[in-house]
Amino acid sequence: MVGLRFLSEEVNPPVQSFLAAATVLLPLAYLLLVVVYGALFFSRHPRAERWAPPLLLGTLALHLAYLVGLGFKWHQLPAATVPQALTVVAFATAVVYALVERLGKDRSTGVWLVALIFLFQLLSSLLDRSDPPVLDLFQSPLFVIHICLALLGYAAFVIAGAYGFLFLRLYRELKSGRFRLFYGRLPPLEVLDRMTSGALMVGFVALTGAVACGLGWAMKIGYQGWMTDTKILLTIATWLLYAAALLLRRLRHWQGRQTAWVSLAGLVAILVSMITSNFLAQGLHNF
Amino acid sequence: MPDSPYLPERLTEGPSLVLVGTDYRHAPLEIRERVAFGKDDTSDALVHLLARPEIGEACLLSTCNRTEVYVRPCDEQQALRSVVEEIFEARAPQVESQGRLYVKWHGEVASHLLSVASGLESMVLGEPEILGQIHQSAAAAESVGATGDVLKRLLRAAFNAGRRARAETGITTGAVSFGYSAVELARNIFSNLERTKVLLVGAGDIARQVARNLLERGAKNLTVTNRSLERAESFAAEVGNVQVLPFDSRVEALREADLVVVSTAAEEPVLTREQMRRGMARRKPRALLLVDLSVPRNIEPQAGTLDNVFLHDIDSLDHLIQRNLKRRREAVPQVEEIIEEELNHFRKAYQGRKAEPLVAQLQRQGEAIRAQEVEAALARFPEDTHEHLHRLTRALVRKLLHHPSTRLRREQQEESQLALVRELFKLDPEE
Repeated sequence: MVGLRFLSEEVNPPVQSFLAAATVLLPLAYLLLVVVYGALFFSRHPRAERWAPPLLLGTLALHLAYLVGLGFKWHQLPAATVPQALTVVAFATAVVYALVERLGKDRSTGVWLVALIFLFQLLSSLLDRSDPPVLDLFQSPLFVIHICLALLGYAAFVIAGAYGFLFLRLYRELKSGRFRLFYGRLPPLEVLDRMTSGALMVGFVALTGAVACGLGWAMKIGYQGWMTDTKILLTIATWLLYAAALLLRRLRHWQGRQTAWVSLAGLVAILVSMITSNFLAQGLHNF
Repeated sequence: MPDSPYLPERLTEGPSLVLVGTDYRHAPLEIRERVAFGKDDTSDALVHLLARPEIGEACLLSTCNRTEVYVRPCDEQQALRSVVEEIFEARAPQVESQGRLYVKWHGEVASHLLSVASGLESMVLGEPEILGQIHQSAAAAESVGATGDVLKRLLRAAFNAGRRARAETGITTGAVSFGYSAVELARNIFSNLERTKVLLVGAGDIARQVARNLLERGAKNLTVTNRSLERAESFAAEVGNVQVLPFDSRVEALREADLVVVSTAAEEPVLTREQMRRGMARRKPRALLLVDLSVPRNIEPQAGTLDNVFLHDIDSLDHLIQRNLKRRREAVPQVEEIIEEELNHFRKAYQGRKAEPLVAQLQRQGEAIRAQEVEAALARFPEDTHEHLHRLTRALVRKLLHHPSTRLRREQQEESQLALVRELFKLDPEE
């Protein structure tokens, strides 16, 4: 560890410069992706079709380097502040989208996902850049697993929210017979429904793991204040919302539209939970 | 016929070409069907045309909407006269004097064929079958040796333009017929047409059109029901791969169906909201697409208010068709760009051909000099090295002439530049 600290102090200036540049470059790169995927969605431009995959990969590589740089600089998981958590969620969402695009061979939903990722990254870059607290709890493996699972869950819920939104727009156009922006440009309703419920399931499993690890860790350190910790309460509420939706889907044959609404409601709940717990409330998660 | 009306207005760059044709814009169906050529007729007509000395190459394109003859002439006016007489007036004597024919020259011929291949000249903008028809015409011409270097290059440019227009633009986007729009709607709801269960209520022409569209695009699970069971059975026998269901079982069949297409002549609805509600309650939770192609409507409009039921009648399908046509029209400028690019490639390839005799002459001269010099020197070298010497000198000449040959072929050359090359290499202009 001492060796690592020594090494990082030696290379700190270039790392510092890279991180400063990447803070500006990343939102710009995602903005460029929004433009390219937008051209693909609206006009199916062949040049956009050619440029989108390498641009996405390049941006992911830059983003990964940025996260590694942050971890290297602070010697801890880069999730100790809201800007750091936002950039990790943006990265995880982008990775999941890149996989979906590669497996599904479909880029028609890219602009909507990339637009959300851009917003997350822009917020991360614009928000307060003060130093994160270097906490001992970040050295606990259980806590690191808790954070990783929570962020993975958030990324999955972002994706579910985006696909839920697209499902509702296409559903509306198909139902009303007024074929406008979304009709003919998106995958079929059935596919959007599968993507939404699949992402919800992944997010739910990850969030369940995150809650379980968090509880285990809280018990280990004898933390008693969870009844007053806004973040914990909001996360449990969100978890219950998703659990109810998945249960109703299975038991009461909830169809695509209801699942899509839940995915949007869950996304809002997550954003609210993230903002309130970090900016408005006090507790163990306020770091 | 007089010579003057069809004189080329401007001699655009490119090879000498003539096009004589008629299409749906210039001639009514009764004339078009007289000058339409089947596969065998096409070959015979081309053989007759090629027997005339004024015609170097020819290709005949004949579809239900157009008959066009593309010719590389040896004598332009004479070739034009021959095509009009041999192809058109022989079948429809008044066609020329009635002004039903159009004639294009040179660059305009190339540009026209690329537009046809891209679907810009079709009756329904972006209609996809024309490219296949051009393929067939090209194959027919090739089989009787009617196409040479120029028309082959032109046809290749047309295929490229047609393929690119379809792949890179929205010129063929979306359904523009009622039959296909039902399929398009289904594709926007269900992930796999093969697994989609289709119920056709009514066994008339519209149902037949929809069924064929569905089967062509991979649907496998089709059931037809009709008040007259006999008619439904005859429909199933004609279309093939369709099951028959008694008319009274239609509500029960809603339990399994994903897509229901109704096209009957009934005055009253054959599916009511209440029947639909009961049917939906018994179904697994998935979408149901109802397409009502009847007038008056045969599905109660209120059925469309049910959750997960998508009801479309001919008005909403017409809205979809108009939207698709608009999108196709919006793609026209992009297609025109592609056509211009492919025309440029064609022109460049043709220009390269202009330099071909000079390149061949240059290479012949290089080989002659090499052979002469090697022959003179061979006596001074051991016999077992002669083969190596030949190989070495051939490679040397090839490498020395590679760059000038490539440049001459690749770029458009002025006559003065070709003359300069002749002078530099002392090539005989008369050879």
